[in-house]
Amino acid sequence: MTDTSTSLALLQFGDSFFPSGATSFSWGLETLRADGHVTGAAEVETLIAGQLRQRWASFDRPALLAAFRAGADLDRVAEIDRELDAATLAREAREGGRRIGGALLKVHAGIGTPGAADYRDRVLRGDASGQMAAVQGFLGAATGLDETTLCALSAYGLAVSAVSAALRVGLLGHVDSQAILVRLRAVVDEAVASPLPAVTGVHAYTPMAEIAMMRHETGSGRMFAN
Amino acid sequence: MNDISSNAIPAQPRERPSTAARVGIGGPVGSGKTALLEQLIPRFLARGTDLAVITNDIATKEDAERVRRSGLIAPERVLAVETGACPHSAIREDPTLNMQSADDLDRRFPGLELILIESGGDNLASSFSLDLVDYWLFVIDVAGGDDIPRKRGLGVLSCDLLVINKTDLAPYVRVDLPRMVREANEVRKGKPVLLTNCAIGDGVDAVVEQIAREVLFDR
Repeated sequence: MTDTSTSLALLQFGDSFFPSGATSFSWGLETLRADGHVTGAAEVETLIAGQLRQRWASFDRPALLAAFRAGADLDRVAEIDRELDAATLAREAREGGRRIGGALLKVHAGIGTPGAADYRDRVLRGDASGQMAAVQGFLGAATGLDETTLCALSAYGLAVSAVSAALRVGLLGHVDSQAILVRLRAVVDEAVASPLPAVTGVHAYTPMAEIAMMRHETGSGRMFAN
Repeated sequence: MNDISSNAIPAQPRERPSTAARVGIGGPVGSGKTALLEQLIPRFLARGTDLAVITNDIATKEDAERVRRSGLIAPERVLAVETGACPHSAIREDPTLNMQSADDLDRRFPGLELILIESGGDNLASSFSLDLVDYWLFVIDVAGGDDIPRKRGLGVLSCDLLVINKTDLAPYVRVDLPRMVREANEVRKGKPVLLTNCAIGDGVDAVVEQIAREVLFDR
């Protein structure tokens, strides 16, 4: 792909206008806010930076890149997908990853991205989980992205969906949201440069968000799916 | 060269669609979307329509639970979709999770004919993605004011069927109902407008007939 077409693909898939279902997920933020653990912009930023350093870098990124490198080998993608699914502790995090991955697959199947319809069939048959990072990884290869661009897309997607959820629940304003995204670029740089574990060794340590998602299962306030 | 005006393609017998018809129910908060749903369910079941429901609650699963506990329909045929504080986004800009839920119902219940998708309460500019639904209703009510139709909101103008609910309240909220209906018909340029009182089911039979005619065809 040319630089321009890569940039255009990145703009399209990284745009909140691209339908991915991400609007419905807060990844623990709804409960953390309700419980008083996150009360403003500074805490939102700390939370997202923690997610990038202590989850995305060592958990999502290895699966993302392994699936990217597997490319059209959908059997290998399914193995990575299973590892990721099995390693995701909180039920709403696991189901959220599947629902977003499934939504992404359906849209890509609809726009004709190679492999998307075949992999979606595997998910519908129950032969694959459809976790977001695995799906995004092989779709990144199928749409002609490079590894650096794919990592930026994935990390930015996590950051922007969290900031957007925080804005919608009134934790910060639109200028704060953008300022946080600017400052988080350095965190993403650091996360991308960190050692890359094998898919069988993915690890994460974000206990507050995990517990919040577990508490969310029975919580009464449910604007979000997790 | 193909001649698109030729009659070379023989008429095919109509086959039953492989997926259920999807009908959206949108409208402002408190206009009676869930009440309409509760009146529609027993009528479609009485017609023998194989039915399921998706609700899009704003902040709880209250509407889904209300429908599940109603005894009107098997609870497993009612799914709730969370909207992330953006009800219009979940039915228009990014309807992927609603589509996923509808696909799930199609797979779980072979023979399903109709899925009613209730939006979370929203504003007059909300509308449904045509990737999500085959047909959609917009529910307003007289207590919201008789100026609602002439404000020409996107929902009022572009829905397939406009339902004006709570007609019984008109005298108590000083609403000129005939004028409201006349203005609704004017702004909709002939597209259908039906009146209901969902508290007791007045007018709901006509809504069922309209949906059945438009999306269930000969089913």
